[in-house]
Amino acid sequence: MAKLVLPAGLLVLALLGVPMLLMLRYSFNSFDPLYLMKEAFTFGNYARAVVDPYYQKILLTTVAVALASTLLTTLLAYGPAYWLARMEGRWKSKLTILTMFPLLVGGVVRSAGYMALLSSDGLINATLRGLGLITVPLQLLYTPGAVVFATVGIVLPYMILTLASVIESIPRQVEDAAANLGARPGTAFIRVLMPLSLPGVLAGSTLVFILCMNAYATPLLLGGPQFQMMAPAVYDQFARASNWPFGAALAFLLLVVTVALTTLGSSVIARRYKAG
Amino acid sequence: MTKLSRRQFLATTSAAGASALLASPALAQSKELVVGTWGGTFGDLLKANVDEALLVPQGYDVLQEISGPVPRRTKLITERMQRRGSMDAALLADFDMHAAARVGALETLDAGNVPNYDTILPFLKKKTSVPLIYSAHVIVYRKDLVKTPPTSVQALWDPAYKGKIGLSDFLYTSNMAYAAVANGGTVDNYANAEKGVEGWKALEAKLLPSTEAVGQALASGDIWLTIISAARGYSWQKSGIDLAWCVPEEGAFPAVYEAGVPKNARHPEAGLAYMNALLTPDAQVAFAEKMGYLPTVKSAKISPELEARIGFSEAEQNRLWTPDLDFIMENQAGLLDTWNRILKG
Repeated sequence: MAKLVLPAGLLVLALLGVPMLLMLRYSFNSFDPLYLMKEAFTFGNYARAVVDPYYQKILLTTVAVALASTLLTTLLAYGPAYWLARMEGRWKSKLTILTMFPLLVGGVVRSAGYMALLSSDGLINATLRGLGLITVPLQLLYTPGAVVFATVGIVLPYMILTLASVIESIPRQVEDAAANLGARPGTAFIRVLMPLSLPGVLAGSTLVFILCMNAYATPLLLGGPQFQMMAPAVYDQFARASNWPFGAALAFLLLVVTVALTTLGSSVIARRYKAG
Repeated sequence: MTKLSRRQFLATTSAAGASALLASPALAQSKELVVGTWGGTFGDLLKANVDEALLVPQGYDVLQEISGPVPRRTKLITERMQRRGSMDAALLADFDMHAAARVGALETLDAGNVPNYDTILPFLKKKTSVPLIYSAHVIVYRKDLVKTPPTSVQALWDPAYKGKIGLSDFLYTSNMAYAAVANGGTVDNYANAEKGVEGWKALEAKLLPSTEAVGQALASGDIWLTIISAARGYSWQKSGIDLAWCVPEEGAFPAVYEAGVPKNARHPEAGLAYMNALLTPDAQVAFAEKMGYLPTVKSAKISPELEARIGFSEAEQNRLWTPDLDFIMENQAGLLDTWNRILKG
């Protein structure tokens, strides 16, 4: 069995592990404006990333946007996921493909689409103006709300598909039994279906949270230059400041925080699942 | 019907493929030339007026490697120790090119290896790069909205324009030079630039993510004035926006774009041919007409009408700053950090 894992394992090690180790080493180097970096072993980059209030704020914004987007996505995905899971016949496969359809378009293109929707002469403002509801365009683009809105739109299919596959595996009779024993649909959902679908919530929210924490194009295009999240800040250090050591330290800080929060969230949900 | 066996089919198609390859003069004789450059309109103009007009007829197969300027500069610096680099020619702004030159990544250029080198305007001549185009980052403003035409850099901190000053996030080096000069500093030390940037924050200046966003904000009236190249002002003026620009009495930041050949280029002779092509009058005039950038060679003549719209008077030309490129190179990360902290923090 171990032999079967070997090719994939080696591939991941070569394409992901080795570059990451190299980046980890860079994060301990020191910055040099002429030669980009100097060989060193300093924790200065990490200290700056953790202590500096400017980067603390960026990290907090990132976590807040990721948490808000994950929560909203979970709430919005439950209904369509349930509907899709319980659907039968030829429409089921068609709607599943339709849910996956946005994933065929790259994140940058989808963000550009949201820009066309939210800009001052975009679809929303033009419609509101056309209806005579506003005279001055609303500032929708380059706001935190725009970032959360677009992020939710982008990650929603992942959550719907993950939840739907888990709900599908919950026997329909369980809901019938709840109804038979007098539970209203809302009660049956909260006390029966939701606890049973927690593994799906766990898998979906983990996936979505990781995607949100590492979002690059959406905050950059829809948040504007004044809205700072970690992935664009990492890129800024590499591609604008040429400060590879600090950029690498920021990247690892983002990785550690994402892993820590994901592990924490998973253990909380897993405990609830066991308790339920 | 004749049946074709699998062996016969393979033999026939291989022979056809091989003969097609041999028959293609482009593949048989072409000399590869990889150019690291910006994409978009700039890349298209290079392709039409330099690559296809001048180098393809000489048998070069030009491949544009499109990226941002800092990754390109980083490549030049990090690849310099390798036997072969990934580019035969690289295009960068003068301060980025300066960093590559400082680490010895660039070939020395002169009239011996670039015949058009001697036609370069004296103030733009350098040992390891050729100037491709130039303009200056000036104050560009909406003529219909800014009632008193600005003459000084102080106009950018006029409370009357609160909320109407636009700043390109990409041009933080030029913007901070203006901020320094407005507050008693110089382009050699950027002293007090912080104070100027804080002043912009207090005036609710709009930070815009790209040059295109600056153009859109000017067009919509979201911003009334900004710091951007006179060439861009000209392009937007041509597209119908009611714009004018001025070189402030304190001066303006020069915008010079250069090209160089890496010392470890795979095809150095192709890179040198590219340098020479960039300096030909036809290519230079095309950049002036299409993008509003001024020619960098004495031999390129643009029409007096165009000169009047994109050119600088002698007095304006003399007022352009000569920034300390060493200072910028050594302090660029710090400048960006200050810029980000004040305007984005």
